[in-house]
Amino acid sequence: MDKNLEKLSALYDGELSHKEMQEGIETMVSDEVLKETFKKFGLISELIQRHSEQKAPKVSFIKEYLSKINPVMSNLVTAAATVMITLIILYQFDDDRFQVDRGSSLQLSSAISSDQAKNQLLNADQNIMEHMIDIMQSNQSHNSQQVSKNWIPVGFSVNPDNPNQYSNGRNNLFFHLENKQLGIKKVRYFKANNNWIYLIPLQDGRLLTAYGDVPPSVADPMIQSIYQRK
Amino acid sequence: MGVSKGDEVFINAIKAGNAAAFEAMVLKYQPKLMSSLIGYTKSPDQAEELCQKTFIKVWQKIDSFRGDSALFTWIYRIGINLAKNDFASSFSKSSKITDSLDQNEHDVPQYLSPETELIAKESENKIIDFIQTLDADTKTAFTLREIDGRTYDEIAQILKCPIGTVRSRIFRARQLILEFMDQENILNG
Repeated sequence: MDKNLEKLSALYDGELSHKEMQEGIETMVSDEVLKETFKKFGLISELIQRHSEQKAPKVSFIKEYLSKINPVMSNLVTAAATVMITLIILYQFDDDRFQVDRGSSLQLSSAISSDQAKNQLLNADQNIMEHMIDIMQSNQSHNSQQVSKNWIPVGFSVNPDNPNQYSNGRNNLFFHLENKQLGIKKVRYFKANNNWIYLIPLQDGRLLTAYGDVPPSVADPMIQSIYQRK
Repeated sequence: MGVSKGDEVFINAIKAGNAAAFEAMVLKYQPKLMSSLIGYTKSPDQAEELCQKTFIKVWQKIDSFRGDSALFTWIYRIGINLAKNDFASSFSKSSKITDSLDQNEHDVPQYLSPETELIAKESENKIIDFIQTLDADTKTAFTLREIDGRTYDEIAQILKCPIGTVRSRIFRARQLILEFMDQENILNG
């Protein structure tokens, strides 16, 4: 039954072959249950689209806000649900484990449909946003300071063609080191599509940023080792 | 924006006189049209009547649809023009509707019930809140479809997953919303 309904859902979206569409329409109109379900798909669509239109001014406001910071970020927002930026605030690091504060996680997915997400984004420190966007745009380290080789995760080695890039064959990682911490007291990481940005405040007052398609499970030991080195 | 692949099937079938395709098209677009007409007329009864007239006219005029806009845009224009004429005719006894409607020519099927329902305001927030609780993958695929109007192929590229996964996620979202509506007794009378 689920398969029939899944097909009905695809029919509603016009995502079947021409032949399947024709057959699906005939089947649907002769089956009261399918017809009622199809009708409800329409009601749900109407509700969501109407609600989305009502919320449009807030989304526009965010776009306007971000466009002032960086047009690339604005374009990301324009892509609405394409934006998969996840801002996850980590617990203050302790020596035990790499913990994620699920309660304070923020997702900007789903067409930025959550008011809470929008507000949190607006409240996010602009310096952090600008820094994050710089990192995303530059796609490589451009700091003059040397990145300690001790920070490189196990299994990663420097790319001979790009001394700022480290790779384990599957994932790539860039480092960026800044003298200021941008007010960051805890490790934070952001997810943008398949890439992650780790903002790691160092004990000496600098901020280490690691950027690449390296998930937290891989980055975890790297961050642990940085913090364990007193 | 032109005609989507799905609407093209509806249009060609309706042009060929396929009543089932017409019925499916009405089921799909009636809620959006009703919502627009209620917004315009501020009267559910009047919107209901205009909705019926609109779909009759769609059936009559489908051959003149050139496909240079989305199907719903065309339907919407017909509906709003009828509403404007209706409004004008309330000030004048002579009807301003340029194309007379022969309502006997094609009956709009019974699924356009007199009490055509949209999801009530009080239920609306419940559903929107529920959608926020969907897991991120499901919600993202669903909103890319419903709000951004992306095709499955585009969504698959954005989310870097197979089209079949996109199809399943969108269906899953709808299925969960329907189950929630059942639990909450929304639209169950």
